[in-house]
Amino acid sequence: MNIQFKKGALELCVLALLDKQDRYGYELVQKISDNIAISEGSVYPLLRRLTKEAYFTTYLQESKEGPSRKYYHLTDQGRKYLHQLNAEWNEFTEGVNELLKEVVIDE
Amino acid sequence: MNKTIFIKKLEKALEKLPPEEQQDVLEDFREHFHAGLQEGKEEEEIANALGSPNQIAKEIIATYYLDRVEEKSNVGNIFRAVWAVIGLGFFNLIIVLGPFIALLGCIVGGWAVGIAFVCSPILLLLDFMFYPDSFRLFDLFASIALTGLGIFITIAMFYVTRFIAKVFVRYLSYNAKLVKGGLKHA
Repeated sequence: MNIQFKKGALELCVLALLDKQDRYGYELVQKISDNIAISEGSVYPLLRRLTKEAYFTTYLQESKEGPSRKYYHLTDQGRKYLHQLNAEWNEFTEGVNELLKEVVIDE
Repeated sequence: MNKTIFIKKLEKALEKLPPEEQQDVLEDFREHFHAGLQEGKEEEEIANALGSPNQIAKEIIATYYLDRVEEKSNVGNIFRAVWAVIGLGFFNLIIVLGPFIALLGCIVGGWAVGIAFVCSPILLLLDFMFYPDSFRLFDLFASIALTGLGIFITIAMFYVTRFIAKVFVRYLSYNAKLVKGGLKHA
């Protein structure tokens, strides 16, 4: 349950980060690892999978310093998927929070 | 582990992929190192945060084979996809290999029954050649009936095999998505 849950959460994080703007790989990884403990390399397989599933498109853009960077752009299909995941997430966390409020946890 | 070693390890682990795919993956990681260095991080620091190159490669290879098998589910592709998904972790060894062997057994069994039934007149003929005294008309009719039944079973197995393969491929993709989180301590 735990592992499955976290993997789903990682997917939601990546999709959410791309909702408002396109970002490159390193930027995405840093944003996520600022908030959650991840092994950063695993974001890339996820990005590849979501790209193959047509939730993202990618393009290369020159950076000010050095080589060009691969940017990820959320497609309409990806946005739909994001909304679906987000709704599921909210429903789930609200349920858990509600339950935690009802019981007293012994530390 | 510095950048060169990390990239080398990753390259080695990705050997099975087609060259363009390999280069594409490696390019992503070179870019990652480059961006990190620009922020003033050490190569070792970046490599450590990335985690094991082997594990990263496994996930990428599993995705690749699952993609292939969804395009074309022939025997070779199914075996490669099963193998790649099993490689993701010990948990998968149990929840993928178990059902896979069970289903494979059922399919092989079904085909064997169908083909044996179809061939039953040949067996009867052989029997008759070696032991001419044992011939009975009942056996002849029974074997002809079995042939008919065998043809039906074989045709049914053709569709059953295709159906099972399709469902199993879905099960594989579902597993690859869920199992093995990228999160630490997961």
